[in-house]
Amino acid sequence: MTQTIYDNIVYLLSLVGISFGDSIVPKIIIVLLIAVLLLVGVALMVMFFTWMERKVLGHVQVRRGPMITGPHGLLQPIVDGIKLLTKEDITPKRADKWLYFIAPLIVFVPSILVFIPMPFGQGAIVSDLPVGILYIMAISAISPVGILVAGWASDNKYALLGSLRAVAQDISYEIPMVLTVIGVVLITGSLSMQDIVLAQGEKTWFVFLQPLGFIIFLIAAIAEMSRIPFDLHESESEFVAGFFTEYSGMKFAFFFLAEYAHLFGISAIMATLYFGGWQGPLIPGIPVVIMSIGWFTIKVLAIVFFTIWLRGTVPRVRVDQILSIGWKVMIPLALLNLFITGLLVAGGVL
Amino acid sequence: MNIINDVKNRFEHAVVETYTQNDGKEGMLIKKESLVDVCGFLYKSGFDHLSMISGMDYVEWMEVVYHVWSYTRKENVVLKVKLDRSMPVVDSVVSVWSGADWMERETYDLIGITFENHPDLRRILLPEGWIGHPLRKDYDLTVDQYVIIGEDGSDVVTTDASKLLRKEVLHDRN
Amino acid sequence: MTETEEFTLNVGPVHPSTHGVLRFVLRMDGETIKDTEMVLGQLHRGLEKIAESRSYLQFVPYTDRLDYISGMTNNYAYTKAVEDLAGITVPRRGEYLRVLVMELGRIVNHMLFTGTLFLDLAASTPIMYCFRDRHNILELFESLSGARITFNYIRPGGVRGDIPEGFIDKTRALLKELPSRIDEYAELLNDNEIIKMRLKGIGMLNPKDAINYGVTGPMLRGSGVSHDIRKDDPYSVYDELDFKVCTRSECDTYARYIIRMDEMRESLHIAEQALDAIERLQGPVSTSYFPRIFKPARGESYSRIEAPKGELGFYIVSDGSEHPYRVKIRSPSFCNLMALPQMVKGLKISDLVAVFGIVDICLGDVDR
Repeated sequence: MTQTIYDNIVYLLSLVGISFGDSIVPKIIIVLLIAVLLLVGVALMVMFFTWMERKVLGHVQVRRGPMITGPHGLLQPIVDGIKLLTKEDITPKRADKWLYFIAPLIVFVPSILVFIPMPFGQGAIVSDLPVGILYIMAISAISPVGILVAGWASDNKYALLGSLRAVAQDISYEIPMVLTVIGVVLITGSLSMQDIVLAQGEKTWFVFLQPLGFIIFLIAAIAEMSRIPFDLHESESEFVAGFFTEYSGMKFAFFFLAEYAHLFGISAIMATLYFGGWQGPLIPGIPVVIMSIGWFTIKVLAIVFFTIWLRGTVPRVRVDQILSIGWKVMIPLALLNLFITGLLVAGGVL
Repeated sequence: MNIINDVKNRFEHAVVETYTQNDGKEGMLIKKESLVDVCGFLYKSGFDHLSMISGMDYVEWMEVVYHVWSYTRKENVVLKVKLDRSMPVVDSVVSVWSGADWMERETYDLIGITFENHPDLRRILLPEGWIGHPLRKDYDLTVDQYVIIGEDGSDVVTTDASKLLRKEVLHDRN
Repeated sequence: MTETEEFTLNVGPVHPSTHGVLRFVLRMDGETIKDTEMVLGQLHRGLEKIAESRSYLQFVPYTDRLDYISGMTNNYAYTKAVEDLAGITVPRRGEYLRVLVMELGRIVNHMLFTGTLFLDLAASTPIMYCFRDRHNILELFESLSGARITFNYIRPGGVRGDIPEGFIDKTRALLKELPSRIDEYAELLNDNEIIKMRLKGIGMLNPKDAINYGVTGPMLRGSGVSHDIRKDDPYSVYDELDFKVCTRSECDTYARYIIRMDEMRESLHIAEQALDAIERLQGPVSTSYFPRIFKPARGESYSRIEAPKGELGFYIVSDGSEHPYRVKIRSPSFCNLMALPQMVKGLKISDLVAVFGIVDICLGDVDR
């Protein structure tokens, strides 16, 4: 049985002499604490990503990015956050009020829920679900619904067209993504994220065992994260801001958070599936938990850096080109990858 | 220039007079009835680029000036037609050069010359309903005209400043 | 076969990729454009009417506001019409200086074009690179005219003033540096697969249509018509300079983009020759005396030049007074834009953005 954050907290508390038998209330408090910890952690990461995106993109583009707020503009995300929260929250007159209100939540909540079975480090996992990766894939498939709802409820042609594009793209790239994940699962023999990490400790990083699968996953992941060159969700030069054209203030902030949480989530999945998750050489003297979380963070940041770098380099692909790449190239390749992996696993090579 | 002689030979009575612009470009004043025929002939003779159409208001009469260039012969030629100011109507040359489309619309919009047989003769730079044609010499510059959003969301031209979102009148003409 | 319903999509006048206040009314079938209508005039300032109440010299600064990206060529086109009208000749050194600033202006325009085109395709890096280098050229312009955008530099009788000290050296250093910068853009952009996917094979305009619609400049040369007013109807001192006319026959947007890249290099070549001539020649850059109140004799003139965006023409009629009787502007953006509905018919809305970017218009130039 893997250690979870909950187990660790109970262990730490018992070290300082607090133990609470079978009573339910402290348990609920601890669970709530973990939920808050997760939210804060994700929010901090998201804030860091927005800063990092601006800085990296700035330096790619021979400029410096934010420099005024804090050292090297480090406080910029906080200022941005305050700006977003204090902006007027406008609901269009002809919008469908309830759907308009609920859409940001439908997009935002799943983007946080994917972190539940995510192994951030050794012993740093909220819950090691036996169906971990399946759960993640299922949960992250909910957000297109929210996008569609947002586009429909806004009563705006740009928003509607943008949301249709976004959903078409999300669905077409979910399939190759899941198909490549099956390859990893075949090698591991388990759906649990923790097992996938441990299996990579025993063998080697799956990026070496599944190179084709990794490339497909990477492309599909960029599409799922809706990053340039596949950022049809936004397509600001055509549809102003895509499905969230009409959103402002807090509701926009939710979409914004969800987008970066999604970026974090998928980078974390990629790090877990292909780059050994939290595995890495340990330095004696530093606790394993901290080291493993450190390795995980470095890997995630490297992937995020790659996506930002990509954004600074290439333009957007056209909508029909994105879809034809998805259906005509990615899915056949993903099936081929699955077929080869299956053969190798059956032959006992992997 | 030889193209002008060609036109003279081909259309005996069309050319009223020939002249030279200050920059040396040769021009001819032609009768407005034979405009399309002459343009068609020019196009066939290689004058395939209609550079510009200008409408002129000379108070007593009006003119339309066509500056044409030939990509193959590398020559300029200028055509002019004289119009009656009380009824400035001339045939459209869109059938010869498609590029005349917007130029004629602009001339119609700003100086009020009507082009017959134009596929879509509407105002282009000013909104529909604008009072007067600004480039005419007798255009009334003292009347302010405003464009406001009408009931159905379309643009409406008005001289009534009281309906503006910006209430104060920025400058007083008196 | 499912039936789809056509709908109308309004793009602009305030929209990220209309480069100003232009409004498209698109008839769409899903994402496919069936028909395009453009609504112009939001930036109409009545420049032609203003000209009638200004003196000949006073109108020069207004021409800067026409195509506010390449003010130098606008200045020159108007100035040339006035000079033709009054029969003024400018010292050769002045003409070379004019050519130098016009060609640098062309590079500025094409840099801005490259940047905004790829910004519309969601690549945000090229515009930053282009602005970095555009800045250097604008610095030169500033040292000449005191302004970075609205120069009012070339005027009837010559230019505003002779070159300042150190100008030749600064310009020479810049001309040495710019080719490597243009190579940098080319390296980043020209062979990028996605850019080829986005630009190749769309926005087709065959040579016959291009001529017939009155399309000019790089748009025309991208359709395989080798025509450049600098070469075929030379003005200023262009007949003494050595340069190529960049033409490509693919007729698509990629060809039109590559032409602009090539033209930047050609302009550098011309600018070098002009700079050499300025250094070599002695004498003034303007006619000795040009009166503020200037009354040309009755008459008319039409001058057209190869502006960065296409053929820019001024038709000026004088009635012998100090004001022009009529100034008519032939703006390249206006005439090139006319061909857009033809070019985007049946394409996706994402292509509209690309094709519109490649037409390279400036709304100040369209609406006047």
